Amino acid sequence: MIEVREIRKSFGEVDAVNGINFHVGEGEIYGFLGPNGAGKTTTISIIAGILLADSGTVSIAGMDIRKDGRKIRSLLGVIPQEIALYEELSGRENLHFWGSLYGLSGRELRSAADRVLERVGLSERANDPVREYSGGMKRRINLCIGLLHHPRIILLDEPTLGIDPQARINILDIIREEVSRGTTAIYTTHYLEEAENLCDRIAIIDNGRILAEGTLQELVRLVGEEDIVTVTGSFTAEQVNPLLGGVKVDHLESDSIRVLVPDSHSISGLLERFFAAGVNVGEVSIKEPSLESVFIKLTGRELRD
Amino acid sequence: MKLVSIILANDLRRRLRSPFAVVIMMLMPLVLTLIVGIVFGRSGSVELPKIRVLLVDRDSGFMSNLLRQGLQQDRFAEMIDLVIVDGEEGYSMMREGKASALVEVPENFTGDVLDRHPTVIRVVKNPAESFLPMIVEEVVETMVLTIDRGSRIFAEPIKSVRVLLEGDRWPTGGDIEDVLNTSRTRAILVRGYLSDSLVTLETETLAPEGERTGGINLFAFVLPGSLMLGLMFISEIVLRDIVREKQTGTLARLFTTPVEAGEIIAGKIISTFLITAIACILLLVIGRFGFKIMIKDYLALALHLVASVFMCTGVITFFYGFIRSERAADAILSVAIVVMGLFGGSMVPLEQMSGTLQAAGRFSPVYWAIDGFKKILVFDAGLADIRLNLVVLLVIAVMTTATGAFMLRGRMQRGG
Repeated sequence: MIEVREIRKSFGEVDAVNGINFHVGEGEIYGFLGPNGAGKTTTISIIAGILLADSGTVSIAGMDIRKDGRKIRSLLGVIPQEIALYEELSGRENLHFWGSLYGLSGRELRSAADRVLERVGLSERANDPVREYSGGMKRRINLCIGLLHHPRIILLDEPTLGIDPQARINILDIIREEVSRGTTAIYTTHYLEEAENLCDRIAIIDNGRILAEGTLQELVRLVGEEDIVTVTGSFTAEQVNPLLGGVKVDHLESDSIRVLVPDSHSISGLLERFFAAGVNVGEVSIKEPSLESVFIKLTGRELRD
Repeated sequence: MKLVSIILANDLRRRLRSPFAVVIMMLMPLVLTLIVGIVFGRSGSVELPKIRVLLVDRDSGFMSNLLRQGLQQDRFAEMIDLVIVDGEEGYSMMREGKASALVEVPENFTGDVLDRHPTVIRVVKNPAESFLPMIVEEVVETMVLTIDRGSRIFAEPIKSVRVLLEGDRWPTGGDIEDVLNTSRTRAILVRGYLSDSLVTLETETLAPEGERTGGINLFAFVLPGSLMLGLMFISEIVLRDIVREKQTGTLARLFTTPVEAGEIIAGKIISTFLITAIACILLLVIGRFGFKIMIKDYLALALHLVASVFMCTGVITFFYGFIRSERAADAILSVAIVVMGLFGGSMVPLEQMSGTLQAAGRFSPVYWAIDGFKKILVFDAGLADIRLNLVVLLVIAVMTTATGAFMLRGRMQRGG
């Protein structure tokens, strides 16, 4: 559905996007995970038609964005990172204006506006000026505008930025609903849990480049992450040291040992040896590798940096 | 075109919801007109430029000398620059607009006054000036009244003095005593004396085309200047949306819809034109009924309004072709509008400026709009009289709109 090849974009001396390639299949949610300034918004702006790439190609539904811009834009629903609304107009008037630009009119436009307002719980405040809305309410109207015309592709640029957890859950549910109807989505975020929970595939982006992409499992495998197993109880380091065999020890002290294993099954042999030697094991915890650890491994820093 | 009309309708709706800035800018010309009109029209407490008055003295007698000396005495000398000219030269200077008024004293004025024959003093006023010729008219009228009353009261003694002066011998002490006694007696007898004036004042205003009945409305003279200044600011406020929407993100969002950059720009320019035109119409309606400004040729006014508003929109579009932020707009446009207004005659009537500034004013697009409005509102000009103004305004409007729109489109397509 979306094919991006070698796109580059510079702002003066800064290379915001530096040769990005990816494709997104129909009905897929493709996530861009990266810190602020990584190039997520520039990439999505090029796909949305807001910016022209210095080089490279973007093709959507088989059409080139440079040649068929208007046709492509009619397929898109864009939810920008900043709240882009006319504050002096009501929520409903905003929806009517943006909807009419996508060709909706009359009863179709009114019912589409009523539908999305109902879905985000803003029907009762629909006729109030947007300037009187809270930040979360504005975010919801911002989202509604992008979904009003049932686009084939939605581009979401950090749509949950700065809102409370409940509103975030609501917005993520709405996106899932849209995608369940066959809509394709590109979702940028710097919230790890959003990328993990929402996206089918994730691209980790930093300094204008995609460092890795794939499903969550593929990404974890790609960087060779191991499960972290922590065993606590009543034992000494000397008591357990001879029992470790080939297991990688991350941390060892009296009553606690943390080891790295390729997968959770590898822990069973170790525990058998512990029980056989009479080591008093109190608790065993297994932590699978997360996107956060993958991100740290790839970029050398935490996402919030 | 449908998308342009959607953007246009949205901009108009938004302006209707938030009309404060435009309303303030509409009040500005009204307040300015009112203040200037009241100050120059009634109180006279402002320091005025010296009024150049041409005196054509065809009499050169005792009474005309009295009139001339009256106009040159201390109080009037501070206000009036009196130039003695012959008739032909005087009228020629008036046609060239080199004086505010011409006062013509007829032949045998002194004889007619002393012989108590009706006579006429003419005051010819410059049509390009409104209040200065009015002052001359008032001054001359006062002096004529004084001469008339004086000549009635002291006719006999003056006649005696004339006989004594024109006689072939020196007057004796008895002769002078007789004159003084007669004068004193007359002064006592004519106390409360009232009768029809022997000397009357005839006033005429040179009109460029035909005669205009009634005086010039000072408000009509002042309104065009402040109106154009207000309209320029209104256009600026409305078209500022282009940079404001860039900052609020709605412009970028528009680019994600099926709308093209050209359609967005067209919508913005048309909404600016319409809002400025509506403001102009409202101001002229207020001027017509509030300031009692007479409008003779509504077609000429309508066409000139369209051309002037189009010019405002075009010039502001041109500026926004290279202005990228509200801060830059604040810094550049306010100054640019004030300078254009100043040179175009928005603040000080161009007629009161030096020749160099008057010539420079023609390079301000605002000048052509103000000049046209003045011709229509002050001098009852018709379509033929404002042809040049319309052509110049439309040429400026088309050129600036096209250049500004082209620059804006290029910038938007580059994502700037």
